[in-house]
This record gives sequence, C-alpha cells and structure tokens, in this order.
Amino acid sequence: MQITFWGVRGSYPVPGAATVRYGGQTSCVETRTASGDTLIVDAGTGMRALGNKLFREAPAPQHYHVLLSHVHWDHIQGLPFFSPAYVPGTKISIYTLLTAADELHQVIGGITRHEFFPMPLEAVPAAFEFHQVEPGVEFDINGFHITPIALNHPFGSVGYRIDGDGATWAYVADTAPFTEVLHKQHFLPGPEPLSDDDKLALAAMREALVRRLAGVDTVVYDTHFLPDEYAKFPHYGHSTPDQAIEICAEAHARRLVLYHHAPSHGDDQMDRIAAEYLKQGEKHDLEVLTSFEGMTLPIGPEAA
Amino acid sequence: MKLRFWGVRGSFAMSGREFLRYGGNTTSIELLTDAGQRLLIDLGTGATELAKQLMAGEFGKGQGTLPILLSHTHLDHIQGLPFFTPFFIKGNEIRILGAAPRPGISLEATLQNQLDPHYSPLNGLENLAAGVTIETVTPGQPIALPGFEVVTAAVPHGSMRTTAYRITADGKTVAFLSDVEYPSIDSPLPEALALAHEADLLIHDAMHADDDYDLRKGWGHSPARAGVVVAERAGAKMLALFHHSPDATDDMIDEVVDRTAARTRVPVMAAAEGNYLDI
Repeated sequence: MQITFWGVRGSYPVPGAATVRYGGQTSCVETRTASGDTLIVDAGTGMRALGNKLFREAPAPQHYHVLLSHVHWDHIQGLPFFSPAYVPGTKISIYTLLTAADELHQVIGGITRHEFFPMPLEAVPAAFEFHQVEPGVEFDINGFHITPIALNHPFGSVGYRIDGDGATWAYVADTAPFTEVLHKQHFLPGPEPLSDDDKLALAAMREALVRRLAGVDTVVYDTHFLPDEYAKFPHYGHSTPDQAIEICAEAHARRLVLYHHAPSHGDDQMDRIAAEYLKQGEKHDLEVLTSFEGMTLPIGPEAA
Repeated sequence: MKLRFWGVRGSFAMSGREFLRYGGNTTSIELLTDAGQRLLIDLGTGATELAKQLMAGEFGKGQGTLPILLSHTHLDHIQGLPFFTPFFIKGNEIRILGAAPRPGISLEATLQNQLDPHYSPLNGLENLAAGVTIETVTPGQPIALPGFEVVTAAVPHGSMRTTAYRITADGKTVAFLSDVEYPSIDSPLPEALALAHEADLLIHDAMHADDDYDLRKGWGHSPARAGVVVAERAGAKMLALFHHSPDATDDMIDEVVDRTAARTRVPVMAAAEGNYLDI
C-alpha cells in the first residue's frame, strides 16, 4: 500500500512563489494497494490534479471511492473540478459523517448550487452515491478495511484508520487537541469553559484515537499551527506538531506525517518546521516527515 | 487612480512554478483614488493577499472602511470571503454590493449559504466581527461610492447573468467585464459597448484561447478576441485580458498576448498579480 499527497494545505489554496515546493492546494490524499485498488481521502483542491491523473491513467469510466473527514470548503472544493466526474458511466461513492444520507446529498449538492457553480450535481454525468459513516463502525471498500475515528473539530470531523495489504495508515484531520476546547455545533468566538461532561467527552475521544492508532505505520495528522499560533487560536479546531507527536508516541505509531499546513507557512518556514520536528520525533522514536504536494510514501513493512 | 490585480485566475486557484508570473489566485482587483479611497472588485483567493496589507494599516485597528463589488457569486469570486481578515476585526465597516444571483435567491442568502456551518466554522455572516452590510445592486442602476462613480450592467454568463462595472475616479475610467459570453463574439452587446466606451482600461474575460473556444462555446466565458472586439468598437485605450484559464501556464498566456496584440491597434496586456498600475 502507498499514499500520495495531492493537497497538503489547510483552509484555502495558496498560489505563489512561497508555496512552489510544499504546494498550495488543499487537503487530498490518494491511497493505493499493490493490486491497484484506490481510495481518495478528502476532496480539497488537490483533487483537481488527481482527477486529471486518474483520467489519463484510465479514461474508461471507473468507480471512485472518496472518504471525507468533514465538509468544510477546503475538504470538498475540488469535487466539482474532478474531471472523471464528467465522464458518463463514472460512479463516485462519497463517505462522511453526517446525521443522515439525505442531508449528505443535500450538502454535497449544495456545493454546486446555481449560485456557486455552473453545473448542478444532478447534471454531472457521474452517478453519485452517499454513505454515512459512524465513528467506530468499521467497513470495507475493495481491498481496504476502514475504521472511522471521531475527531474534535467544529461541527464534527472524522479520521480514518485504513488497513490494506497487511499494512496500516491513518488520516487524522481536521482536529483540535483534546484538552482546552470541545467542538460542538455552534460558533465559538473563543474557548468556552469545559463542563465535567465535556472533559469526559474529550478524554473518551482522545482515548479512542490513541487506541485506533495503536501500532499504525504512518499517521497523517492535522498540524496546522505552530505552538505560538495555537495559543492565539485554540478554538479554531487544529493541532500543533507537538500535540500530534504526543498522540502518535503514545500509540506507538512508527511514523508521523505533518499535514494541513497553515496558508501563512511558506516553503522556507516549512523547511524549518520539517527539520525541527524530525529532531523532536527522534526523542520519541517516531519518524516525523512533512508532507508536500506530490510526496508518495510506501506504507508498512515493504518500506523497511 | 491606481489599480492592482490581486487575483486574475478563473475557476480555480493554481499553485506551482508555471503560474508565478501572472499569478494563480482567483479574481480580486483593488482600485485606489489619488485621495486614498479604496474599492475592491470580487473576493477570490487574491483578496486574502490584499487582506494582509490592509491589516497592517487601519483595518488592523478596526478603523477601515471598504466597499466590495461582486461580479457574481460563483465560488471563484467569493472563496476568499471567509479568509478576508478585515472581517474579523470589530470596528471595520465593509459593504458587499452585488446583484441577486437569481430571482428568489438574495445575495445575503447566498453568502449565508457559503458560511453555512457545514461548510465553514464561521457559521454565518452575523459572526463576522466587522460591521458588514450586504447591499443588492440592480444592474443598470448607477452606484455612488466615496470617490468612485459606478455604472452597472447585467451581462450573460452561461445560465446566469453577472454584473459588469464601469468605474470612474480622478477623471479616469476602468471597465470590468468578466465572466461574460456574448451570443456572438463579432457583435458584442450594446450594454457591454456602452460600459467600455472610451475606457482608459478595459478588463475583459479571456478564459479561452481563441483556438479552444469552439469546444467551449456556451460555458459562459469569452475567448481573447471577444475583448478585442469590445475594445475596438468601444474605443477603449487599453485591454487587459483577465480570468485566465487554470490550464493556462505563464508561457501559454504570453502566447495569447502576442497573438492578440498582433491583430489590433489597442494596446493589450494580460492581467497579472503584482504592482499598482497607474490608470
């Protein structure tokens, strides 16, 4: 199994000279088994280039499976620009965490409502299918076994542990740490005091995440913020590399990949972050890599 | 009057080395009068770069005022809104002006949908700390903004209509005609010609290279030569090709400019992110 990063940026796409090396497109990762089964995780703007590649590889209609962590713009904005969707006969199955499949259809359809995009979902040639996922309820897609994991992010978000070819990786984005803020379904102008129930909910979420990540080969983690930035915006729903290292070390994961980079972090700063956290990881026997657009990583024993 | 392109790309923001000279941000244009009054057209990703500059000045202190004209609400023209940091500072006064996207759907409802809690943690316009007013433009009616006179017109864009603007300040005129496709390239609509009449700068949709246009007719965008026809008939003094295709690399845009310039006496440039231009 391997993973390839098509978009590594958080919040919004960032063109320009400062992002040519790490990339400016938003969240999208492709994973593939040795036999060629493919999954797409998140549909940020990186999905446009992925779609063009998939179409070149296989112009005949395919059935694509897309796991969404959540439906904030930076995780879905690539969907209308996924070129295979315009090939009649294509099937696209979308999986995410929402309260009802109807709602999912409506929310995804809403991306291309007339005011926002020239072609409504119903007019797109591909057939869409929507699947609701629930944290802890495992399922299979082709050669992949998938475990959704609840995360801490405004309006809810879900990570995925993905097993395939006898190896495992996990996608942990977007999430805040499990300490100061419990994200719910309302706007947070700043951190709110935690009730005892909130603290229990956070502890349970953290415990389940660590348990699901136990022994995982590679963890791709939302590390949007540096610690000083997090201190200013603890209620924005994102983590720091330090917080990701803590979780991954506790789970005895082998490798952590920093992901969902802040739009303001240019290439030179990303180089410094990569070097600093590679060192930090060594203290915890954890290999810490920093994702960039186009990076491909083999997952599991074959990597050794 | 000065003008700066902060985003010139159509449809999709493009990062990478092949898009550095013209820029990969989606549409946003800043206009400044000699007295320092400011006006913004569109809130594509380019607006997030302008925001950094604004925040270093009075907008960072909650003392900024800014009118923003929207051509329409397709995502590439509004996707910078949730990240336009002056909205997060109390005291700033920001007006968003644009036409209703279609009968029965107001501009305000559309922007609320963009900030719907499914899509955005901002969870609605009411959570923006700045004073934000949404004002519905009726295309065809003029708008008076501090320092600027604005004439408006509705123009066809696929299945919808966008608002085109003619903006005059300091005795100079800029015409903005983006996301437009005329029923016939060779006979542009009278509204478009009136808007561009003797403009000092005509900014025109040029999403498609002329050779590609036949394949993409009806998609709501113009080939480069549509802007030439408008500029020539309207007597515009300069043409800026705008809303570049996400597939158009810097080298491809260079070629389009060369070919377009070779067939008209109107000076032609391709809009590029970068410096303030004197109009």
